[in-house]
Amino acid sequence: MSKLFIVNKYMLTAKNLTKKYGEHIALHNLNLTIEAGEIFALLGQNGAGKTTTINCFLGFVEPSSGQAIINDISVTQNTAETKKYLAYIPETVMLYGNLTGIENLEFFSQLAGFRYSKEELSGFLSKAGLQTTAHSQRVGGYSKGMRQKVGIAIAIAKKAKVLLLDEPTSGLDPKASNEFSEILKELSQQGTAILMATHDIFRAKEVAHRIGIMKQGHLVSVIDSRDISATELEQLYLQMV
Amino acid sequence: MTGLLIKNFVRSKGLMTGLLLLFLSGLISLNVGKHFLEKNQQLIQQTAHFQQENIDRNVKYVNKEIGLLLYYVRFGLANHTPNLAGLSIGQRDINPAVLSVTIRNLEEQKYTTDLMNPMYQLIGNLDFSFVLIYFFPLIIIAFCFNLISEEKEEGTWSLVLSQAISPLKMLRLKLCIRYVSVLTVLLLLLVIAKFYLAIPVDNAFVAFGLTAILYISFWFSVSWLIVSFHRDSSYNALLLLIVWVMLTIVIPASVTTVIVYKYPVPEAFGTVLESRDGYHSKWDQPKEPTIQKFQKHYPQFNRYKHPEGKDYSWLWYYAMQQMGDDEAAVHATDLKTKLRKREAASSVIGLFVPTIHTQQICNHLSQSDMANHLNFIEEVEKFHEQKRLYFYPKIFTDFAIADENWKAFPLAYFQDKVSVNWSLVLIPVFSICVICVVWAGVNFRRPLERNARYE
Repeated sequence: MSKLFIVNKYMLTAKNLTKKYGEHIALHNLNLTIEAGEIFALLGQNGAGKTTTINCFLGFVEPSSGQAIINDISVTQNTAETKKYLAYIPETVMLYGNLTGIENLEFFSQLAGFRYSKEELSGFLSKAGLQTTAHSQRVGGYSKGMRQKVGIAIAIAKKAKVLLLDEPTSGLDPKASNEFSEILKELSQQGTAILMATHDIFRAKEVAHRIGIMKQGHLVSVIDSRDISATELEQLYLQMV
Repeated sequence: MTGLLIKNFVRSKGLMTGLLLLFLSGLISLNVGKHFLEKNQQLIQQTAHFQQENIDRNVKYVNKEIGLLLYYVRFGLANHTPNLAGLSIGQRDINPAVLSVTIRNLEEQKYTTDLMNPMYQLIGNLDFSFVLIYFFPLIIIAFCFNLISEEKEEGTWSLVLSQAISPLKMLRLKLCIRYVSVLTVLLLLLVIAKFYLAIPVDNAFVAFGLTAILYISFWFSVSWLIVSFHRDSSYNALLLLIVWVMLTIVIPASVTTVIVYKYPVPEAFGTVLESRDGYHSKWDQPKEPTIQKFQKHYPQFNRYKHPEGKDYSWLWYYAMQQMGDDEAAVHATDLKTKLRKREAASSVIGLFVPTIHTQQICNHLSQSDMANHLNFIEEVEKFHEQKRLYFYPKIFTDFAIADENWKAFPLAYFQDKVSVNWSLVLIPVFSICVICVVWAGVNFRRPLERNARYE
């Protein structure tokens, strides 16, 4: 095997990742690796450090110590480079209300340096599950689910190796949530490494390969989702937090 | 990306309404300018007409003594109004466009002004320079105050940051689109003005256009600087409005106060009193000293004598009138010097305050500033002196009225010269723009990603 493959096997790495806000420690010595094609779900209460972790990988937060590494490149040292490999879907995807769905996708793709034809863009939106009739409507009238789908399309169009999701299914109806999970699985099969912060224990068990539970900035437990049922996971979660 | 940013901009009703309002107020100001020019033109034409009529009528009825005739006859000097003044009326609305003077004492006649139509004092009677200096910045502020914060507040910023290779490039594009849109309105108005007000395209007009462009560039630079601090929308809006109030109202008003305090002109009052006393009191005094003083001033008239034993002669009368000017001369010169000093002091302060500088340059180029009025007054003095020197010998020798060619005194014109000092026009505001942009550049050196949220 070439060395390159081994090096690239871990798409996401957190090395002793720590973030302090004054006296408050938001994230404490997080060590974590996520392989290409792996889905890792982070569970934990509000303020447990899930979003801080994701923000460290995005480069939105500068770690107090330790490193966030994407594809072997330190995020702090080269945010512009690591950004090329990742796509991000926030809890609520907000778009430009004056532009249509397809224009929003085109805009965000152009920001990332991609140029697609109208057909290709439409294809991404359809793949993300957005009904064709909505493609050329202004997103001002979109529901949250529809906007999340544009968010997914943006991620797909970027052909990102790493997907960072911050509670992406909160507020989605079960059907939309299920469709979302299917797309994540598909992306994972294509080799995308996915880090997902969520409150949805059932969804985490369904989608993720591994599940981490965070408490007060510590990653207190990492479980292989094949080894545990949803009920057991819920009990474990309640004991932990 | 540019295309979509433009689409997003154009589809924003608020922004488009702002541009439209700006354009409309610009058109209104051009109409005000047109009205001003026409009124001015009409005034000068009528003065030219009635001056001749007035001379003819006086010659017809006051036909015995030329000394008496010249008591009445007025000679007008018009201050040429360039059409550019339609864009920047400046002090032209209070200073007269024509001064019609008799050859009697000048000092009292210098300060006569046209009757003011109260219509011109109404709110909404704005010239283009007002729209440029006061209204353009407000639109620019409205366009830019939330350049970044709208993205944060509407939630698109985190997605932008996670996608954009260079988020700063996107912000620059957003700013450029706004800049180009406002610039387009400005240039459109200037082109319309060129045709509507028939302004010749000369150095003054080009300099006027560049001044306007620099001025809006200044406001974009300030806005860019303010947004570079990454504060929320309301903070930015407040800060920019404070800058606007300071630069357009508080600082100019303070500067005026300071200058008036530093260069007081008690001479303005003194001159009037001295001038009046200078001749009025002479009625009650012996005639000889007055004539001696007059002949000291004009030795060339030494050969003319006041008829002995007589109470009155035209020589004495005009000598007495002359005393009004002579006795007020020192104060009158001081007054002019101080007004020039005021003008110079405000120019120096203007170098650091773009609003003041822009107004000064606009008024200077349009010949509607204090300096132009003072130049005009000096020309009136020369004009008046020339008429005196021409008529004095004729009065003193009782020249026959019928032998004078009274058609030879049409309305005269004064054409002030405008020199465009390009470095003075361009460098001060440009330098301030550069400072703002460089400062913003320093703020933007910190990666935007670290400013995903408000600190």
